[in-house]
Amino acid sequence: MLRQTRFLFLLPALLLFACSFTPEQPVSKTKEETGLIQIRPSTSSRPAVLKLLEKARRAAKAGQFDVAEAQLERALRIEPRNATLWHYMARLRLEQGRMEQAAGLAARSNSFEHDDASLQANNWRIIAHARYQQGDIEAANAAQARADALAAD
Amino acid sequence: MPKRSSRKSSPSPRKKRSATAKKTAAKKTTAKKSARKKTSARRPAKKTASGKRPASFLKGYGRLLFLFGALVLAAYYLYLDVMIRNQFEGKRWALPATVYARPLELYVGKKLSVQQLLREIKLSGYRPVLEAKSVGTFSLHGNTFELVSRAFQYGDSFEVSRQLRIRIEQGQVLAIDDRNTGEPVDIMRLEPAVIGRIYPAHHEDRQLVRLQEVPKTLTRGLIALEDRAFYQHHGLDPRALARALWADLRAGKLVQGGSTLTQQLVKNFFLSNQRSLWRKFNEANMALLLEWHYDKDDILEAYLNEIYLGQDGKRAIHGFGLASHYYFDRPLAELRLKEIATLIALVRGPSYYDARRHPQRLLKRRNLVLSIMAKQRIISAQEANSAARQPLGVVRRPHNIAGLYPAFMDLMRRQLRRDYRQEDLTAEGLRIFSTLDPAIQQQVEQAADKWINRLDAQRGLAGKLQTAVVLSDTSNGEVLALLGDRNPNYAGFNRALDASRPVGSLIKPAVYLSALEKGYNLASMIEDTPLTLKGPDDSRWSPRNYDGQSHGSVPLVTALIRSYNQATVRLGMSLGFEAIADTLHRLGVKQAIPAYPSMLLGAVNLSPYDVSGMYQTLAANGFNSPLRTVREVLAADGRALKRFPVTVKQAFSAEKIEMMNRALNAVTHVGTARSLQKLLPADLEIAGKTGTTNDLRDSWFAGYSGSHLAVVWLGRDDNQPLGLSGAGGALKLWAEFMRRIDTRPLPLFELPSLEYEWINFLNGRLSAEDCESVLYLPFPPGQAPSERAECLDSGMMDDDF
Repeated sequence: MLRQTRFLFLLPALLLFACSFTPEQPVSKTKEETGLIQIRPSTSSRPAVLKLLEKARRAAKAGQFDVAEAQLERALRIEPRNATLWHYMARLRLEQGRMEQAAGLAARSNSFEHDDASLQANNWRIIAHARYQQGDIEAANAAQARADALAAD
Repeated sequence: MPKRSSRKSSPSPRKKRSATAKKTAAKKTTAKKSARKKTSARRPAKKTASGKRPASFLKGYGRLLFLFGALVLAAYYLYLDVMIRNQFEGKRWALPATVYARPLELYVGKKLSVQQLLREIKLSGYRPVLEAKSVGTFSLHGNTFELVSRAFQYGDSFEVSRQLRIRIEQGQVLAIDDRNTGEPVDIMRLEPAVIGRIYPAHHEDRQLVRLQEVPKTLTRGLIALEDRAFYQHHGLDPRALARALWADLRAGKLVQGGSTLTQQLVKNFFLSNQRSLWRKFNEANMALLLEWHYDKDDILEAYLNEIYLGQDGKRAIHGFGLASHYYFDRPLAELRLKEIATLIALVRGPSYYDARRHPQRLLKRRNLVLSIMAKQRIISAQEANSAARQPLGVVRRPHNIAGLYPAFMDLMRRQLRRDYRQEDLTAEGLRIFSTLDPAIQQQVEQAADKWINRLDAQRGLAGKLQTAVVLSDTSNGEVLALLGDRNPNYAGFNRALDASRPVGSLIKPAVYLSALEKGYNLASMIEDTPLTLKGPDDSRWSPRNYDGQSHGSVPLVTALIRSYNQATVRLGMSLGFEAIADTLHRLGVKQAIPAYPSMLLGAVNLSPYDVSGMYQTLAANGFNSPLRTVREVLAADGRALKRFPVTVKQAFSAEKIEMMNRALNAVTHVGTARSLQKLLPADLEIAGKTGTTNDLRDSWFAGYSGSHLAVVWLGRDDNQPLGLSGAGGALKLWAEFMRRIDTRPLPLFELPSLEYEWINFLNGRLSAEDCESVLYLPFPPGQAPSERAECLDSGMMDDDF
């Protein structure tokens, strides 16, 4: 069901911020921004959702996070079990600095059926980042370990 | 004089600036003016005082009287000035909030029948025509719709008007094309239907129009008919007044007004039917003041929005924007000449020329308007003639949105009250984008109508059977439909929110979920045997099963799907009230949970809405998303004010919820809700739970598909027995609407972190797919039973609770 949507791009910025995920080196804002912009689903998702994602991408690039959010919500109403869409939503929250929601949405993304290990790893990285920002180092390390394990597979 | 709000709001930044600028300017001028008055009043006095022949009458009381008179006059003007400016700047923009349904998203592959789309298009206010050329019209030929959409400001973007073609084939959208470019359209939104307005207490309604969006023929026609010298005079038109006076004298009674538009506007500000000279005098003075402060276009725009044009029961129809909807069910910009002329005709006297009671009078006056417009060369004689030959075209019953969806509107208002003051909702012209899905709401209303009447008659309840339904989107918590009474238009007691009733077995998933969290699994054996508990007051309580039997050692899953009471109480007592109360709170229940044993069987009072919040968490894989009725709120000028985005909070692990979902899915196959199998399409997998309270007083069903959750309650307001169990009542209504809406089956995929086995649900042992009485159930790694069962026949299925 969810195999329609997959990554074409392996979120270079996410990986960057994953590498940079050390207590001494918080992620810079610009990297996060380019991260959202470079995410693209594969063309096998339905055109309506791709169109909305394109709109969301443009809005996020222009810094209009509310508009991006509205487009992602529209896409989610069409494909509510699309793990990738939930992942984008989590990334958006991360950019908005809403850490609790970012972690919640990333976990929601991982709760759907999908065998995309890199997507799951990226969701765990979002959780790690959010927990770190919230000062919960233990939870951040645990999430990072999950991400690393998935990435190693 | 009716007391009215003098709040100032800002329909557009430009307006506000100009209004405030004027206000300060006005303050200065008023000050200057009164100063001028004072000096001019003093001057003659001075002259006489220094004159050679001091008149005694001016020296004494006369002078004082004169000064006093001047002061009174100044105070009078100041008073009028303050009043008229308050009216103009405040009341002019006191607009009720407009509430929209969700916009329908259209895209290739969307499940939608021709009938469904037709209904949505009509709800959005499109007119059927043979060929869709003008904005707001549509045509339907075979399975193909053609329409010209309206430009619309959404929170996220402004969408321009487009000519579209939509083809439906076999219940889904086959293609959407732009008729101008021929390009396919990936996704579009049909402008949402207006489903309500939030009125201030005095029931004035209006739909603000801006001067530039008003058809020129309307403004020019209006000026031609009512006040030809509008752009020349200073508020009063002595020549028109003289003409009117002459006409009145000749006729021996009042036949002609002679009031300028400005005077009429003032008169509308202080609606009173009294025709006294003093009132006329006041109005004339206020008209002068108004013209002094504001420019002509501001006055004209206020006039267009203020003028009284009809009465709809308690609701007063103010302004051309609303009148256009009220009489022709269409926005002002889409009116044709004959309709514009009709509205101009109504200005003279909306009740004398009542469109529905005195159509002949109105028709005559409309044609007079047309001929005067032609004489003034606003329209051609030919246009006037052809319009004059047409009927009035007033809609018989206006599309009355007041009073639609009262239960939903009630919930929405309560949620908005957390963020907005009542005055903001009734005066600021907010645009509220709600989550209501009119198509689903209609299915719920129709299903309720059918089943409530049927069950009421069957049980001889004499019209006393009541119901409440809450239907939401499982992925984001949006409330899509709400019913608070068997009559969907009843605006009183909202049972969906305010009927707090014992939930019965609906509480059991919380008990079993607590057990799963404490290390039990679905095949753990628990005891369904008689027990007696002592209450704090030494009372004794011995819970019984619905079938009167005890079932001995049963698998946990079986106790849940067959709703065994003794097993549930034993299990709950071993887990402790605290653990179960904690589970309930994490599921989203806000109420305090009583710590006595009958709580384990649902002696907890919750409203259908509260129950929805609880099951929403189960339906959303253990993620808590509060139920919402509003997506976003825009200011009158289209600025996005506030979004209410989806929020999620993980409350339970995916594994625990997966086990619970499998068990609740089994309820609909081999448990108390198995009658669903006959009522729903075979591939529509559902998870759900029935609930029945003592003596069959409440009938509940809470169930969810892969995309929708619905909670249905049936009961009586006087709390007398119904004779209906959860499966015998609420479930039937639930199935009726669920099979009609476009909903996805509950996805039954396997979590990689769990092990799945076929289990005999009578003895909890390993079995095989082709044996009787088996369920495919998930287990935490290493916890699945190891003993294998024989292939057995299916067990007793006589309980139906």
